[in-house]
Amino acid sequence: MAALPIVSNFESDFVLQLVEIDSDDSMDTVASKCAHHSIGRRVAPRPGTILRVRLPDAEAPLPREQTAAGAGIAPMDTVEIFFEPIVSEA
Amino acid sequence: MLKRADWYDLARDTNWTPRYVTTEELFPPQMSDTFGLAPAAWESYDEPYKTTYREYVSVQREKDAGAYSVKAALSRMKFCEQADPGWLSTLKAHYGAIAAQEYAAGMAEARMARFGKAPGMRNMATFGMLDELRHGQIQLYFPHEFVAQDRQFEWAHRAMHTNEWAAIAARHLFADLMNGRDAVSIAIMLTFAFESGFTNMQFLGLAADAAEAGDFSFSNLISSIQTDEARHAQIGAPALKILLENGFQAEAQKRVDIAFWRSWRLFSVLTGPIMDYYTPLARRESSFKEFMEEWIVGQFDRSIRDLGLDRPWYWDIFLEELNETHHGMHLGVWYWRPTVWWNPAAGASTPDRDWLEQKYPGWNDTWGRCWDVITENLRNGREDLTFPETLPVICNMSNLPILGAPGSKWGCRNYPLEYKGRRYNFGSEPDRWIFQQEPERYAGHMTLVDRFVAGLVQPPTLAGALAYMGLAPEECGQDAHGYRWAFADEPSLKKAI
Repeated sequence: MAALPIVSNFESDFVLQLVEIDSDDSMDTVASKCAHHSIGRRVAPRPGTILRVRLPDAEAPLPREQTAAGAGIAPMDTVEIFFEPIVSEA
Repeated sequence: MLKRADWYDLARDTNWTPRYVTTEELFPPQMSDTFGLAPAAWESYDEPYKTTYREYVSVQREKDAGAYSVKAALSRMKFCEQADPGWLSTLKAHYGAIAAQEYAAGMAEARMARFGKAPGMRNMATFGMLDELRHGQIQLYFPHEFVAQDRQFEWAHRAMHTNEWAAIAARHLFADLMNGRDAVSIAIMLTFAFESGFTNMQFLGLAADAAEAGDFSFSNLISSIQTDEARHAQIGAPALKILLENGFQAEAQKRVDIAFWRSWRLFSVLTGPIMDYYTPLARRESSFKEFMEEWIVGQFDRSIRDLGLDRPWYWDIFLEELNETHHGMHLGVWYWRPTVWWNPAAGASTPDRDWLEQKYPGWNDTWGRCWDVITENLRNGREDLTFPETLPVICNMSNLPILGAPGSKWGCRNYPLEYKGRRYNFGSEPDRWIFQQEPERYAGHMTLVDRFVAGLVQPPTLAGALAYMGLAPEECGQDAHGYRWAFADEPSLKKAI
């Protein structure tokens, strides 16, 4: 439970931004905190998608419920936030 | 009185061998020459431009008479009240970034004048020092006319005495290129790379736009300044020639590569937005990219190769950046406009965007996507969403935002580095490479964001950051045209500012 400044690289935005998260935040919460500074400001919302978090150059996103501490995210680490299409269950 | 031809060749080359102190005491390497050339190597230094003090004074007096008389004539026209606000922002940004750094360049010329081993370098740098004193004074005197009408013009003097982020970026750059270097490195990095390469862009390219915009006072001023530059910028080439002749090609190349990239990054944030966004559309001579291709890719590239140097290793990266970087710097400066001392013109009306698409195919699908959201917010009365609630992450070399093409490209990426347990972030491969050439030179510096994260900016809010940067609320930048550009397509909507 500690304040953690990270670097947000948000899909379709143009600049890295400083975002304050908490080490106990889940990836969903991290994505939401990053989205606050991009979506609706310079990035249009995308219906039919959810936001995922991955480390730079990683193949797969981090699990949604994993915490920042659990993912080993350190102060001023860069994370990439990207749109993932919602796959319908039907 | 002797004729110039009778004495000049002897006088310009007068030198002596010290007897009461050693050469090293007279010319400490750190101030004079960190390459380690033998003193005799400098005997062949031959500056292409030669003048005497008598001639210098006479010519400079004519130039000053010209510049000041045009200013005096146009002062009666109340230009400040009639000019396009975007053009006024051009002037404010230019003077604030440049005026005090001209004075700093005078100190760098003085270092060459005292510590250059070649008499020709010492002589030319003496005149160069006088040039830079002129440039500092004249570029403070001209904006001073407007200070009573618009307090942002006061930043022509104040900027470099604050911790405003662009001022930090400029100080970092010029400390690296000139004020923290030996005389030979200054000759290469300041006079050859920065001056003979880039300053033609700001001072001649911009002069063309200024004349188009009807600002003859400014156009005349900066053209006049550039005639001085054309002379003292020639100090570096003969120094490079001697370095190459004495086997120092790799060291010389590295200095050029560092100075060129760092100069490019400054121009991407200062000259790029001015040429492609602030200059009124009808008055734009050429695009920033077109100016860069003419002055840099064309002329400077040739002069590098004529000297026997190689193109910098990152040339392809640089060419790609010509398409993108300054658009990002502009968007960043506009979005974070409270943090600058001028009023950025958005330059994103429909006609503007048509021009941008023509000059930079694909602009609307990338940068245009961000401006779509901004425009929509303004039309919906959501000005609040066009202001930032956090800081951008900035590069530990350029001190500029780390950015890349947005929208369908998503070209933004970080180039991080760990050094002695500290994390550094860089905006490009060349920026990181520069740090790695001499880490101890750069490692101690903290960007504005480093300071913020470390708790040095109090309170740790945007208001605290603005106060740290020395910006009073009345000085913080606003949209130059009161957002009228966002409504140009919808005449039925009126926005009262």
